[in-house]
Parts: sequence; structure tokens; C-alpha cells
Amino acid sequence: MTDTLEHEEHATVTGISNEKLGMWVFLGSECLLFGGLISTYMLYKNRSGVTAGGHGSPIRMSDFFDIPFTSVSSFVLLASSLTMVFAVTAAHRHEPARMRMWLATTAALGAVFVGGQVYEFTGFVREGRAVRAEVLDQRELRTNGSVAMDSPFETTLPGKAVLHVEFLKSGEVMVQRSGEDPVTLDPNDIGAGFTSSVSSSAFLTLTGFHGVHVTIGILMLLTTLSLSLRGRLPRRKAESVEIVGLYWHFVDVVWILIFTVVYLIK
Amino acid sequence: MTAVADIPTTESHDDADHAHDHPSDATYLKVAGALGLLTALEVSTYWWPHRLHKVTAVLLIIMMTIKFATVAAYFMHLKFDAKVLRRVFVAGITLAVCVYVAALSAFVFWDNSGTAKFDNPPHHRVVPPPPTLPPVKTSAPAAH
Repeated sequence: MTDTLEHEEHATVTGISNEKLGMWVFLGSECLLFGGLISTYMLYKNRSGVTAGGHGSPIRMSDFFDIPFTSVSSFVLLASSLTMVFAVTAAHRHEPARMRMWLATTAALGAVFVGGQVYEFTGFVREGRAVRAEVLDQRELRTNGSVAMDSPFETTLPGKAVLHVEFLKSGEVMVQRSGEDPVTLDPNDIGAGFTSSVSSSAFLTLTGFHGVHVTIGILMLLTTLSLSLRGRLPRRKAESVEIVGLYWHFVDVVWILIFTVVYLIK
Repeated sequence: MTAVADIPTTESHDDADHAHDHPSDATYLKVAGALGLLTALEVSTYWWPHRLHKVTAVLLIIMMTIKFATVAAYFMHLKFDAKVLRRVFVAGITLAVCVYVAALSAFVFWDNSGTAKFDNPPHHRVVPPPPTLPPVKTSAPAAH
């Protein structure tokens, strides 16, 4: 009776299970989500404003990009797609031990990627704080008279952008990036955090959403692995592994877009 | 008594066919190798001379599209699965591209990209003087 019910459940007009079709429809809709986030980043990537016409931190995340490090992360995620496809193949061939090994490897590679992303983000925030501390120190020198108030200060960011800083009597600073209009702001607003500027908000929202997707993927992989270890993933449910694999590969293709559009295209 | 999992089902046959249709492990390794090479080439563009940035951008977009299509075709099995799945996914991508190209065009992205001035009013906007209009002729009211 149970078997009959399962058969009825899988008989569909398209010949594709509802779960698999559902995952594909979901992935199609995810294209719109990530399309929106990528477009927003493209619009705001060179803006310092925190509001329309307002001014936030003149620092951009791209000033701190470490391309060799992010490239290694990209290779790790790409490798995880290969291990995932091996897990799906093993599931279809009914080789549970091999499938579990590849599922665990994929989850581990995903965890390495997410760990790298967290390390990268904290590095950005730390570097932004270092620039702010440098400007505040320079303001202190001018306030206590060690350096003339009208003496400007220049600092070069790791991405080679130069910030020319002038100190105003009001306590604010006028910061000019090379080749751009100057912006006047409180030096305490200089930084590379989520609310520092629309540019950094757009970057962290996009890459953060992707990181959350990878984390959800890792949880899905671990759940599948746990089900298999408890013997609750028989051969007729091999498609479950394929559906988790579809989600994982989608996360990989989204990173292919982000890596090129955000990190590599100048 | 036979366990439910041991009963041969049509799905099991489907699975066997499915596995047969899919590429071999060697093919997956070749695809992954090609993707790795493309990624290495992409990364190398970061150190290309800045004067080539337009060519580099075009090349990067081409390589990104090839990588995207390869992962979708081979790793996501779109090349081997039912056509309806391809249609669903391609429809999502096409819709996303159309919507966001329209949105970016509405924000004049293609003209002002790369400048910090996008949607930021300049500090010292030059306001043109108001046009000088000829004096309005007022005629005396007609005497009745």
C-alpha cells in the first residue's frame, strides 16, 4: 500500500518528480533575486553616499580586495561542484559509502569557502578601521597644535587609491579620492562596514546573501549525509541527493557571476 | 516478507537509465579541468595592463558565460535532462537579464558607470541665469 502510494505520488504529467521541478522553479526565481543584488551593486559600487546626495565613507570594499585569496576560494567552490556531481553519480549507482564520502567532502569544501568569506569580510572592516584611526590621529595632531591645521594629509589604500584629506575647523574632514569630487564628513564615519556607505552595503548584501546560500547548502548536505547514515535514504530516494546537488551547483554558478562582475571587472 | 526498498520499481529502472545517460566520471573530470583553466585565465586578467581594460571586460564576460553554461549543462545535467527543466531555468535567467538591463538603463548606468558622480549632485552646481523675457506690454484699458 505504501509503495503504491509512493508510485502515485511520483506519477506526473511531465515525467519529472514534483520535488525536482519545484527545485528548478525555485532556482529560476533565485536568478531574479541575485540579478537584483548584482544590479544594485553595479549601480552603487562607486558611490560613497549613505543617502541620496549624502556622503558616507569614501572607502570602497574594492580598495581592500585580495584577488589571490578570493581566487583560491573560487577554486575551492568549483572543486566542491565536482565532488557534488560525484556524490550524485554514486547515489544513482547505489554506492552509499562512496556517496557519503563525496557529500562530506563537498560540505567540507563549502565550509572552507564560507570560512574564507568571513575572514575576508573581517579583514575589510579591520582595514577600514585602520584608515579611520590614521585620520583621527592626524586630526588630533592638528587640534593640539603639533601640526598646522591647514596642512593636508595623504594616505594610500591597499588598492592604490589615494585619499587626500584636509582638516576643517568644525572637526570634519574633506576627503578627496584621486580623480573624484571631494566629500566632507565626520572622520568617525570613515570605514568599511555594512553601514559605512551605499557601496559597502551593496557589496556586503550581495556577497553575504551568497554566503548564506552556501551555508544553507552545507546544512542540506549534512542532513542528507545524516539521513543516509541512519539508513533513511534508500535507492528509490536517490533523487533527493540530485535535488540537493542542483541547489549546490546553482550556488556555484552564482559565484561564477559574482567573482567576475564584482572582483575581476575593474 | 519483502522489504519495500527491495521491490523493483519503475523508478529504479529510471534511475538506471538516468545513470546511463549521464556522463562518465572521466567526462566530469575533464569538464572540471576546463573550468579550472578558464578560472585561472580569468584571474590572470587582474594583472593585465590597465589600457586593455575594455578588452579584458569583454573577455571576462565571455569566459563567465561559458563557465556558467558549462556548469548548468554538465554538472546540473540540463544537457541530459528533460527539456522542460531547461526552459524553466532559461526563462528565469532571461527574465532576470531583461528586468535588470531595463532597470540599469533607467538609472543611466551605461553612461555614468565608473564615476562617483552617479546620482550624486555636484557640490557647486552651476545654475544658468534665468532667461530674459521681453517686457510685457500692458495696454491701457479701453475707455467706454
